[in-house]
Amino acid sequence: MGKSIVITSGKGGVGKTTSSANIGTALALMGKRVCLVDLDIGLRNLDVVLGLDNRIIFDIVDVVEGRAKLAQALIKDKRFDDLLYLLPAAQNTDKTALTEDQAKAIVDELKKEFDYVLIDCPAGIEQGFLNAIAGADAAIIVTTPEISAVRDADRVVGLLEKNPLKEESHLIINRIRGHMMADGEAMDVDEITHHLGVPLLGIVLDDDEVIATSNRGEPIVLESENPAGRGYRDIARRLEGETVPLMKIQQPKTSFWSKISHWFSRG
Amino acid sequence: MQAVVLRGNQDGYQLVLDQAASFKEIKEKLRELLDNLAADSNATNQISFDVLSNQRLLTAEQNQQLEQIFSEFDHFQIHKVIPDVITIEDAIHLKEQDNVHLATQTIRNGQTLEMKGDVLYLGLINEGGRLLTTGNIYVMGTVLGILQAGYPSGEDKVVIGDLQHAQQIRIGEQISIVETDQPSKGSQTVAYVNDLHVLEYGQLSDLKTINPKIYHRMGG
Repeated sequence: MGKSIVITSGKGGVGKTTSSANIGTALALMGKRVCLVDLDIGLRNLDVVLGLDNRIIFDIVDVVEGRAKLAQALIKDKRFDDLLYLLPAAQNTDKTALTEDQAKAIVDELKKEFDYVLIDCPAGIEQGFLNAIAGADAAIIVTTPEISAVRDADRVVGLLEKNPLKEESHLIINRIRGHMMADGEAMDVDEITHHLGVPLLGIVLDDDEVIATSNRGEPIVLESENPAGRGYRDIARRLEGETVPLMKIQQPKTSFWSKISHWFSRG
Repeated sequence: MQAVVLRGNQDGYQLVLDQAASFKEIKEKLRELLDNLAADSNATNQISFDVLSNQRLLTAEQNQQLEQIFSEFDHFQIHKVIPDVITIEDAIHLKEQDNVHLATQTIRNGQTLEMKGDVLYLGLINEGGRLLTTGNIYVMGTVLGILQAGYPSGEDKVVIGDLQHAQQIRIGEQISIVETDQPSKGSQTVAYVNDLHVLEYGQLSDLKTINPKIYHRMGG
């Protein structure tokens, strides 16, 4: 019996889908059988980030309404032999096409087959959110070092505390910009973790490559040297119970001499 | 003992209802007694009676029936009905009003913790969270959200603690935006509603002048 984890945030655009794709891929790289479930019905894009959008035949609503079997709707990612699957969301309807019981039934079914079922939650706290947490054993809350994202994360933590899942929630701080935290322009990691009172699962640095790779449909974890990719791989290892120290937030140091040479090189 | 006994003291007249008598009997005796009284006295002044019901709680209907009897006489009226007992519900209510309740849970964005009576708060209220109570609030925890004392309209209540990081302080119907009103730093700030119905901030050391009632109750 596998474990289901919902990846949620409250606010949109903080990297839920990117995190789902990358944590899923990282777990698959570790040899785990993973199924990603996209519950952002009507605005699906987990399939795009994984580069599987052209393979969709059936979706989750087809399964619920009996037009397809669950196994038929699952899309296999051929890069990871038989380890990574995606259950895509429907695009032609909305979040109310699914009820909490239906979502839970599907997740429970998948848990029998897979080690991890990662549920990509839509933004907001309406029906889509309720569907996403219905079948989850645990939650990963994604936030960025912005006040608005942290506020919404706080709201979501509150909602999850009211209807507790089987396991404790964990936090991912995404899109960290080293120099802004160092300058005190952005909330730092400790501040956010303390404010939300949720244990930290990992941090992911902001990196242009994340956007570039996701545009190509290749998760960033496949880039072995990339710091953001390493952040996601560390998160996957911690999910597996390994103790991995938190990566250092390195900022490009500009010394006095390098600044001067920079002026000359410009001219 | 008679079903209804008339007593007089310096405060006025009292009608004592025997708790063992039936209500029907009381009504009969009461009418009889008032009849006699009306015949005896040729008073032109209104006379108000306190009705002591002992260990009997009169229902609203029974109260109405008593009023009905009194209304038959021109010069008599009920001042008030005073029982020696209260309902359990009222007792719990009173107890809640009198105790200081401890609250430690985190109140997050979008959550409201509703309480009754005075609250000693030791937890964390994040931005957008709200602690609301009918009584006073004493804060030792961290407040980044909203504190509301004296809900819904008790303007004699106070909020005491470190208030400078809160979003709003509300007492009764008065609201203070903390960022605008800038309460003093430190954990000894007192928020209260002054005589002009404006929410104001003072120091704990001035509580005796700000709100003597609370000061005395806290044993100062």
